[in-house]
Amino acid sequence: MNEEQKSYIEIRGISKYFGNFAAVDKVDLDINKGELFSILGASGSGKTTLLRMLAGLETPSEGTIKIDGIDMTQVPPYKRPVNIMFQNYALFPHMSVFDNIAYGLKKEGLSKDIIEDKVANILSLVKLEEYGKRKPNQLSGGQSQRVALARSLIKEPKVLLLDEPMAALDKKLRQSTQFELVDIQFQLGVTFIIVTHDQEEAMTLSDRIAIMEQGKFVQIGEPNSIYENPNSNFVADFIGNINLFNAKITSTNDDNASFYCEALGGEIVIKKSIQDQNVKDVTLALRPEKMIIQKESPSDEDTNFISGVVEDFGYFGNLSIYRVRTNNGDIIQVSKQNRMRTEQPIKWEDEVYLSWDNENLIILEK
Amino acid sequence: MSGLLINLDNSFRERLWKNLVIAIPYLWLLLFFLTPFLIVLKISLADPIIAQPPFTPFFQETVDGSFSIYATFDNFLYLFQDSLYFVTYLSSVKLAFISTFFALIIGYPIAYGIARSPQPTRNILLLMIVIPFWISFLLRVYAWMGILKTKGLLNGFLLWIGIIDQPLDLLYTDTAVYIGMIYSYLPFMILPLYANLEKLDIRLLEAASDLGAKRWQVFKDVTLPLSLPGIIAGSLLVFIPSIGEYVIPALLGGADTLMIGRVLFDEFFLNRDWPVASAVAIVLVLLLVLPIVYFQKRQSQESMQNSSQAVT
Repeated sequence: MNEEQKSYIEIRGISKYFGNFAAVDKVDLDINKGELFSILGASGSGKTTLLRMLAGLETPSEGTIKIDGIDMTQVPPYKRPVNIMFQNYALFPHMSVFDNIAYGLKKEGLSKDIIEDKVANILSLVKLEEYGKRKPNQLSGGQSQRVALARSLIKEPKVLLLDEPMAALDKKLRQSTQFELVDIQFQLGVTFIIVTHDQEEAMTLSDRIAIMEQGKFVQIGEPNSIYENPNSNFVADFIGNINLFNAKITSTNDDNASFYCEALGGEIVIKKSIQDQNVKDVTLALRPEKMIIQKESPSDEDTNFISGVVEDFGYFGNLSIYRVRTNNGDIIQVSKQNRMRTEQPIKWEDEVYLSWDNENLIILEK
Repeated sequence: MSGLLINLDNSFRERLWKNLVIAIPYLWLLLFFLTPFLIVLKISLADPIIAQPPFTPFFQETVDGSFSIYATFDNFLYLFQDSLYFVTYLSSVKLAFISTFFALIIGYPIAYGIARSPQPTRNILLLMIVIPFWISFLLRVYAWMGILKTKGLLNGFLLWIGIIDQPLDLLYTDTAVYIGMIYSYLPFMILPLYANLEKLDIRLLEAASDLGAKRWQVFKDVTLPLSLPGIIAGSLLVFIPSIGEYVIPALLGGADTLMIGRVLFDEFFLNRDWPVASAVAIVLVLLLVLPIVYFQKRQSQESMQNSSQAVT
């Protein structure tokens, strides 16, 4: 992003109170044109309320929303250049697929020919050419979702809001639909804002993700940076699996920081300087796939390792996930790619060694 | 082997139970609808005589001891010959239709308002709608006489605030009948409408608004068509009792208020012409059955559409 580029959607100090409860609490957010942006959070985190304020279905208690430079805060939903795709699609049950999709255009007062053309085009975009005459109750879940998508895209909104777009689909369909959605977004260049509780969905779909908790954003960034550099215990724990260990800073200089971490076998040195001298207690976080599990003791003297006993494991075909009880009594999760067909698998009660590279440890201040 | 026998026994019992459950409404309708209807139908096919009962028997014993059936369509023909009956039917339909229309106009916003109010308020409002039923219908109609009469509450109030300087003639007019009918049958309009509107998915309204519809367009395009089953149910529940209503026009209406219920009463109790009165009743039932059949057909078509084309 260069400095001259202004953000397409500017959210400044937006709050929504229900009584005394702040569903959304003084949120700032910038979204770029054509971006596929996800707001990820557990239920009750305020993500849907924020989306509804963008659509105009909820009035902010304070703050402003600008889209393409124009203040939208007080504009009613029917005048906003924004459309929303509802979680359960909210298709009009008494209208055919054609009439559902054409509804927005009819309200614009377009001529019949233009409407028919546009609807035909978008039906072919979502691959439902033959379904125009059907009623919503004659559609499968995946078809309903595509009709809802077509209906919300037909007015060529500047921003498309999607509330849990995949939640009503089964897993297999969800994956193929995710790619279709990204494809359509790329073709049309419309800015997408997706609200979801499904981290996998957010990771695969988005250019950037904002993680929301108790009405506030806790971290905003690209999927990979959120995964590899979470900025808090909450984000580290929320995204993917992770092992969290308590540690104390013993010494720190310009290049290195030394920690004492009982769970990881004592002294740990990481090539990173700690700026704040007051910080003593930290959490060290380590992802399960960044450890190696093996039955033999690592031969290299420099390698960090601890030993333990396999307490439980799950076999997923491509990989296995182990829960190992270390000699200290901690439980550590490790995943292992099943690379060799003929390999002797590690099983319950096996004595194992876990090793890792200290550079993969994430330092989280408490 | 004994296990199999028990199984058979069980399935037999289950079927018996199922049939019994289904039989209850049939039994009720047989006793309290079909039987009286057939009796009235039988009377409508007889001639009036001065006797006890005042009509000719359906089965007549001939001289040689065998039975013959005596039936005549004279009474029905008479209904068509005397224009009074046609005019009265028409006026009843008109009265019932206008009452239903106003009950809908008044009841819809009430039902909508209740359906949109917060849950605890909603229950209180519904209770208030139903509470008048705790007082006898007749008493409530008498109360309206007190309100509408020349020196009644309404005229008193209007004179007091100075809108009128002569009391209005309200009681014993068609207007009074309309007021009484709309007031009495309004809950039958509100309750089915409420049941329908309460289920309406708010997100459909939001979706319409999001797609560019203004408030009144949202109502016209989404709320109204989706509440059509409630409108039909409520309208039938008001229209059917209104058309045959006797008490309200008798108490609030004038001498010139033509209602089929009054004609029926007069034929039975003043003229003691039971056969003609029965014929009037039969025609009335047929008049009512037609819209119900239409409604039923519509509904079953709709549910057929929904069930046969639903996709899992």
